[in-house]
Amino acid sequence: MQATEVITPPPRLPPLTDEDTVRSQDRSRVHHARRLGKRWRLLWLLVGPGILAMLGENDGPSMIAYASDGAQYGLGFFVPFIPVLFAMAFVCQEMCMRVGAVTHRGYGELVLQRYGKVWGWFGAGDLTLTNLVTLVAEFVSIRVGLAYFHLGSGVAVALGLTLVLFTLSGGRYWRWERIVLGMALFNGLFLVAAILVKPDIGAVAGSLDFTPFPGGSFNTLLLLLASTIGATVTPWMIFFQQSASADKGMTPTDIRHGRYDTALGAVLAAIFGVGALIAGAALVTHNGSGIQGFAGAGFPEALKRVAGSVAGSVFALGLIEAGAVAILTISASTAYAAGECVGVSHSFNTSPRKATIFYAANVGVALLAAVVILIPGAPLLSIALNANVLATVLLPVSLVFMVMLANDNGLMGRWVNQRSTNVIGIAVITFVGLCGAAYGIDSFLQSIHLIGA
Amino acid sequence: MNAPHDGPVIEREPYEEELIMDLERDQFVFETSRPVPQAELGARATAALWALRVFVVLVSLMVIYTFIDQLH
Repeated sequence: MQATEVITPPPRLPPLTDEDTVRSQDRSRVHHARRLGKRWRLLWLLVGPGILAMLGENDGPSMIAYASDGAQYGLGFFVPFIPVLFAMAFVCQEMCMRVGAVTHRGYGELVLQRYGKVWGWFGAGDLTLTNLVTLVAEFVSIRVGLAYFHLGSGVAVALGLTLVLFTLSGGRYWRWERIVLGMALFNGLFLVAAILVKPDIGAVAGSLDFTPFPGGSFNTLLLLLASTIGATVTPWMIFFQQSASADKGMTPTDIRHGRYDTALGAVLAAIFGVGALIAGAALVTHNGSGIQGFAGAGFPEALKRVAGSVAGSVFALGLIEAGAVAILTISASTAYAAGECVGVSHSFNTSPRKATIFYAANVGVALLAAVVILIPGAPLLSIALNANVLATVLLPVSLVFMVMLANDNGLMGRWVNQRSTNVIGIAVITFVGLCGAAYGIDSFLQSIHLIGA
Repeated sequence: MNAPHDGPVIEREPYEEELIMDLERDQFVFETSRPVPQAELGARATAALWALRVFVVLVSLMVIYTFIDQLH
């Protein structure tokens, strides 16, 4: 009897897209480094989204907010408060990284698919509003920096848009990430500025006990808290880090390195943020005027008068860098959200022809913000100062969904939040929510003259 | 969004097979383009989310009102 030959069909594998091909090349290098035990190489390959989210948030309005805190109140309270805020940011961003690495999906699409379109679109709406306002503020920051070198708003617009187009031109996430990372390291200019103003090291160390607590009116204190929180944790960071982690191709085996990446970003951002605060504090003994006055006159000019032209130039270059990096990361977060919510391709690893909405949103939102700063008489300074406050007010909803996703057993399996992470996460949401709401309500009641200033 | 793959088995070049080995199965665009199942939120959770949403919108409107008021 003749034996029957059983032919087993090959396993049905999914079709390979260009995006898969590019991502698998990046993953191949990660696997290679891991197999050979090359620790530093592995770290180099896996850092990116965390540092970019944290240093991207050390943007123009944030650095102006820190410097204003220093100029108005000196070093006390804010020197330890900024690192505490970045510790809070680490807790939130670690969740984003972990959810992105485990699910391989962005925040926008997960909220939309898991909790329904209403919540997904609300989140995207919040993001678009805060991103647009913040992007205007970033162009303002570049303009303030360039004004120190006698360059106008046209140059600021051209610089910002050129950078967006240049970084998008490669069709690879890796290329985009490395260029922006290289630029983001210049956030260290604020530390250089702090050194150039020759601060009293004893005074810096002495301020670590959170004293003296800032004085002034209750509303001013709330504004300081809301804008400083908004300078540290914002909705775009949540969208960005989760989507970028997925786009980078991170997996659960990379979570440990993702934590290193996020922690490194938080430490660098805290150091550079304190640098801006110390540079600003140099102005406190020189007729330190209000936030509006300093921001309006331009910090670099004010710093030049008290600490020399080099300090002023370094601070001005820092503002240009902070604005430029934030334009790139915030535009990217808008693009990820647009692609995810519409349900089309949303990756830097895809060509513009195959991910039209992703690339159009990336360029479009930056273009829209650029147009605003070219409008004669537009209230740019007020927009810049209110950008962080608006982000703080809208943040709690994004954070609640983040905590829900990170606790979703169906999505996260054994990588769900630990109890301690939930306790800290809920404390952060409560603190951010109370500060934002207190400022919003108090300011509103003053505006309609129900309470005195 | 990519359509689910119900077509014939794809013939691959050897280099493509090698590339695929570097990706986890659920990382493929084909897999990530499938929506995750919707979670069922309880009535209390839904009410709490709506309360938070309404509160946040109200406070945002207050901030925007104050911003416009300060311009004058």
